[in-house]
Amino acid sequence: MPEIPMRKRTWAERLEDLPPRNFKAAIQTLADIIDTPSADGLESCVRCGLCAESCHYFLDDRDLRSVPAYKLNLIIRIFRRQIAGAGRPRRGAPGLSAAAIREWADALYGRCTLCGRCMVNCTMGIRIPSIIRKGRAVLASLGLVPDGLDSTLATARETGNNMGITREDWMETAAWLEEDLRTETSDLRIRMPMDAAGADFLYAVNPREPKFYPLTLTAAAKLFHAAGRSWTLSSHAFDVTNYAYFVGDDALAARFASRLREAMDALNIKTLVLSECGHGFASNRWEAASWLAEKLDREVKSVLEIVAEDLRAGRIRLDPDRNPKTVTLHDPCQLVRMGGIIEEQREILRHCVRRFVEMTPNRKDNYCCGGGGGQLSMSEFAARRKSAGRIKAAQIARTEAQVVASPCHNCLDQLADINKHYRLGVEIKSVLELAAEALLPPQG
Amino acid sequence: MNLLRWAVLTAGVISLAVLILRARWAAAFGRPESYAPARGSARRGIIYALGRGLLPWEKESARLHLATYVAGILYHAGLFGAFAILSAQAADIAMPRPVAFLLRIDLALGLFSGIGLLIKRAARSLSRFLSRCDDYAANLIVDLFLAFALAASLDARAEVPFMAISVILLIYIPLGKIRHCLFFFRSRIGFGRLLGRRGVLPPGRASAS
Repeated sequence: MPEIPMRKRTWAERLEDLPPRNFKAAIQTLADIIDTPSADGLESCVRCGLCAESCHYFLDDRDLRSVPAYKLNLIIRIFRRQIAGAGRPRRGAPGLSAAAIREWADALYGRCTLCGRCMVNCTMGIRIPSIIRKGRAVLASLGLVPDGLDSTLATARETGNNMGITREDWMETAAWLEEDLRTETSDLRIRMPMDAAGADFLYAVNPREPKFYPLTLTAAAKLFHAAGRSWTLSSHAFDVTNYAYFVGDDALAARFASRLREAMDALNIKTLVLSECGHGFASNRWEAASWLAEKLDREVKSVLEIVAEDLRAGRIRLDPDRNPKTVTLHDPCQLVRMGGIIEEQREILRHCVRRFVEMTPNRKDNYCCGGGGGQLSMSEFAARRKSAGRIKAAQIARTEAQVVASPCHNCLDQLADINKHYRLGVEIKSVLELAAEALLPPQG
Repeated sequence: MNLLRWAVLTAGVISLAVLILRARWAAAFGRPESYAPARGSARRGIIYALGRGLLPWEKESARLHLATYVAGILYHAGLFGAFAILSAQAADIAMPRPVAFLLRIDLALGLFSGIGLLIKRAARSLSRFLSRCDDYAANLIVDLFLAFALAASLDARAEVPFMAISVILLIYIPLGKIRHCLFFFRSRIGFGRLLGRRGVLPPGRASAS
């Protein structure tokens, strides 16, 4: 008799089936993962509420449950009442109630993109996104990651990338992209190198690129080729994303991050260059070393740093007249406010478009597009995500730009969604695409 | 009176000791190592977080709530003034007249601001939604502290209730939200260190908010 596959239980069913002891285990998890900067933050909040307008969710729905201080205080309440000290729950701590878990899931997963805008606007400077991540980690420890995000994580865990691309498909895609590039450029030397040991850097991409948007991959290849860069892709590990970062599961995040590091070691490469991906940058550049407890003897860079370096050194030349439309820039939160890559994308755009206009506010003060924090994977909160995107849509409309550029694939997806939803009528492009379109042949 | 002075002193020592214990308690959670090489300077980030980063033109939340921001500054300045008066009275030091005059203005503004912030907390739905008993109690105790400091600076008969409310305040500091007097600095330093290392702070250019 054929085996009937078991239907995967939904989030609500998993919560329903949770034995009460797990509710207590959640408190132990929280006591274990809180660190000193978080404890300082949890002891600092004075509930002034000045953070409210820094959150795009609150600006959109005016729901008091969207105020960052409310989300933070869900954790503060449990922290103060049930945690005795580092790793120690209070004796007789009742644990998290089912109602509290629902409240946490709605607020910490459904009303937050971990964008950090509340942190820079907090009077106390509380690292709110980091604490929200810990709250998400508590839910993850109970097996209560929202279904869509859970499924993305499972795919990444099982296949090595978040879109389930097989090694064969990846290698074939790179091969036909190389052929296409040669035809397009009439340059037989241009390559999509795979597993080139000893190259100057390993290039990691967002699986969305080979799957749906190969143009961004070929854009990078054109730019690297024009600059004479020695680079490679890896057939074993190519995924720059790390969705475990969004659920606060540091052990799993370390496992994901180690894949790229292992690929570097196998190819004897010391520099990892990350494609246009906000959280991919924050996790690989800033968090991975701590997750893996390794002092790096290797560099981790954004592709924007590489292209900006090549521009400064005169290794590539761009013609802004090839992009005559007015372009504005969306700053991805994890790359800019949380990552420190702030001016490189501007430097590139000023070289490759005829008219560049800033959004207001921008840089560390920019508004999240609404697609961060794993929101694009969580279909259960999709309506809220699109609605909260209204703030970004209004910002875009005010610039009167015809093209919105962003160096992050998650942002590009959300921008495409809000472009359609709010009928903005703009083109959405990655920064590398615009740069490649403006690329001039090498002199001489 | 001497007994009250000793009570104030004892409460002050207890308050300080409990705050130190709380800081040690928080420190015991452990600071994660930052192995990733810095892109900016933690030191410059911390200097920004404790200085320029607090100014309203650097922070949208302060700009949008300028009245609350100014009231908060005056409230805290009044609190420092009240502690100056308390220290002078506890040590039996007479203040020069101009200093006493300026302190009275400081206290009056602080008290006015404190009451305003209390009314705002009670009246605004967002603040009411976020607030707990601790928020109202802390505000009320500090308001009384400022009121009696002002009264004591004008009339010696108010010194006894001023000392009494001082004892209550000092004991309350580490137990309630006023312990942010310690954690504010720890939190801001942590914020400055994080974004300073990453090269986000201090911001290079105006973000044109």
